[in-house]
Amino acid sequence: MLDPVVAPRLRLPRSSSFDASSEAKDLLIPFLQRPVAKIGMVLAALVLAWVAPRPAVAQTQTAQQIYAATRPQLLQIRTVVDAADRQFVIGSGFLVSADGLAITNYHVVSDYALDPGTYRLEYAMADGGQGNVELLAIDMPNDLALVRIDRHDTPYLKFSKRAVEGTLQKGEQLFSMGNPLDLGFTILDGTYNGLVDRSYNERIHFSGALNPGMSGGPTVTDDDTVVGVNVARQLGSELVSFLVPARFAAALLARQEEAGDKPPPTDFTAEVGRQLKDWQEGLYKSFEASGFKPMVLGGYDAPQSTAPWFSCWGRTNSDLVPRPRATVNATMCDSDSQIFIANDLNTGRIHVTHAYVKSDSLNEFQFAAFLSHEVQPGFFGGFSRRWQTRQRCEEGFVHAAAAGSGPVLRTVWCARAYRAFPGLYDVALTAVTEDNGRQALISQLAMQGILYDNAVDIGKRFIEAVRWAR
Amino acid sequence: MIGRAYSNDVVLDDPHVAPAHVRIDRGDDGRLTALDLGSANGLYPARGRARVPLLALGDDSVFRIGHSLLRVRTAEHAVAPERPFAPRERLWLAIAALVILVPASEIALEWLTEYTEPRLVTYLMPLLAMLAVVGGWTILWSIVTRVFAGHAWFERNLLIALTGALIYQIVGAGSELGAFGLSWSALETYNYVGFFLLFAAMTFFQLRQINPTHQLAAAAIVACLFVCAVAVQAIIQSDVRPGPSRATVRLLLPPSLRLAPVDDETQFFDDVKKLQDELNKDRTEEP
Repeated sequence: MLDPVVAPRLRLPRSSSFDASSEAKDLLIPFLQRPVAKIGMVLAALVLAWVAPRPAVAQTQTAQQIYAATRPQLLQIRTVVDAADRQFVIGSGFLVSADGLAITNYHVVSDYALDPGTYRLEYAMADGGQGNVELLAIDMPNDLALVRIDRHDTPYLKFSKRAVEGTLQKGEQLFSMGNPLDLGFTILDGTYNGLVDRSYNERIHFSGALNPGMSGGPTVTDDDTVVGVNVARQLGSELVSFLVPARFAAALLARQEEAGDKPPPTDFTAEVGRQLKDWQEGLYKSFEASGFKPMVLGGYDAPQSTAPWFSCWGRTNSDLVPRPRATVNATMCDSDSQIFIANDLNTGRIHVTHAYVKSDSLNEFQFAAFLSHEVQPGFFGGFSRRWQTRQRCEEGFVHAAAAGSGPVLRTVWCARAYRAFPGLYDVALTAVTEDNGRQALISQLAMQGILYDNAVDIGKRFIEAVRWAR
Repeated sequence: MIGRAYSNDVVLDDPHVAPAHVRIDRGDDGRLTALDLGSANGLYPARGRARVPLLALGDDSVFRIGHSLLRVRTAEHAVAPERPFAPRERLWLAIAALVILVPASEIALEWLTEYTEPRLVTYLMPLLAMLAVVGGWTILWSIVTRVFAGHAWFERNLLIALTGALIYQIVGAGSELGAFGLSWSALETYNYVGFFLLFAAMTFFQLRQINPTHQLAAAAIVACLFVCAVAVQAIIQSDVRPGPSRATVRLLLPPSLRLAPVDDETQFFDDVKKLQDELNKDRTEEP
């Protein structure tokens, strides 16, 4: 039934661990090794066993009723390759006004938005109706898009008042709809589990089985009002999915209704750039405001960010066989702030890593060679020739800490520019202490999608904070 | 009388010389002249493509007949003293010293960058490679020298090869040391210039050995090849397409080898800000 040639590029989750890139593995592996994670997986299994059987007849009927009530408002949104007239990306969406306005995810329509000449948008309804879709507005940081379908007097879904006000209770049952894997419109139920603790972009943690293709579909409470928009699921986990809170969709709709007859932007790439610039201001102001707190790592103060949306892991090489001739103990902090721009471009993350390396049986030259290999590439998240220029670097010996309080640092600053978004850069800053021939701290700060001056300010604070521990 | 026939005063065994080719006379003013006796191939001055029927000779002149170059000197011309051979003992002393020094330097450099468990193979392979290169160079040039100069000069070729290998190590280690110690990464990026220069110098010395008289021509050829090699390498390096970033810190050495002065933060970030303009230019290039 699924045409393998057309094998749709099912676009669901742009969750931080969903990328096929190497970071996904980096994030997942430490997760699995932690004993807490193992217990968590056991608990998740128990929860599944509990959730799986459908006991009360009342619940099943609610799902049936909800589906019957919302079916007319559901859409499948397709991105079609214009020349080949075949679907390229599929997702879901839902009507939000009587004159054909609908909400979906930005990542469902991003191919069209960034390259309208090659693609066009179409919709399909549960009753078989089809037609064209016009893209009106996007809210890229929240992964939302507002579109108009070519129908009038459409039934539509309302947003949940309690969700917009923030008074939902953890444990409430929610019903999620969409068209997973192009199998047809479906409804499934799950649990509302509050907002994700450590995410910079506000997301609802939904314990339900979202699948690729359901992006942009609505998740409703039992009164048929929308609580969130399906956006992502966590790869390699069970029933861990994410929704964009309804208040952002409601705000997007309100802005569009205010704008009235104003025509939509002709160049959505410029609009993406504008929204990215605004968004990164918020992120990096927040990052700078929370500042760096020193964490002692082998005789040095390693600056860590206190911003709540970082998740940190430890790493060591002591379990390698044969025993390494220098020990490495590292901390890696990654901000959960990724935003999707295009299939080959995610940006907005910040990495702060420190590795304390100490020689066991290496002389100074051998230790320096070991260090050279230990330093990781500063940039992460892949490289896209389409979106990014090549890197340019500046190297030097720098004494940044106040006199007498910190070592000389071998500092490397590398940056690359975004071709389509003037003023925004990826920056990778690396500093290696140069006060001792047999031990060193390697500190790295990498920031994606940042204004150059912001990067310089934050970079200065970062290397100033690398000091000797008292 | 000069020619190929056995009745001449100077008999030349050159098939392109006529049986009676040239006669050298002393004129009334005491000056020597060379007269072409009607040969097919003619008489040419040392530097000149046009044949002449008559050539005035000075105290120390060279002229050409057939494929032979003849030098005529008057009897008053001073005779240079005999040039002795290079003492063979000194040559072998130098070779012996290098045979110890070169592998030792290779082992030392390998050892200084060894940070995993030491294995014999990591030392053996570079030594074998070095042996192959030095041996190959010596044998190749010995054959060429034998063919063109009649004598193989094996010891001298070996000396050139070993000296080249030692300088190769020095250039390699020196460029790394300079790149780190002087914080001048261009030294490492462009170290191929040093290597090509070394190769050119070695080739020049080999050519000079074959023919000591044509040093200028040899130098010119070698210089040309050097410039070509550097240009090709530069083009290859600059044409590299941008790809995923390599590790940012390319090479670290012990902190005590830092020679460059330390920047303060302001200086470093001033340089960092200059990168922004370059990046903005990069944006306008074709991806």
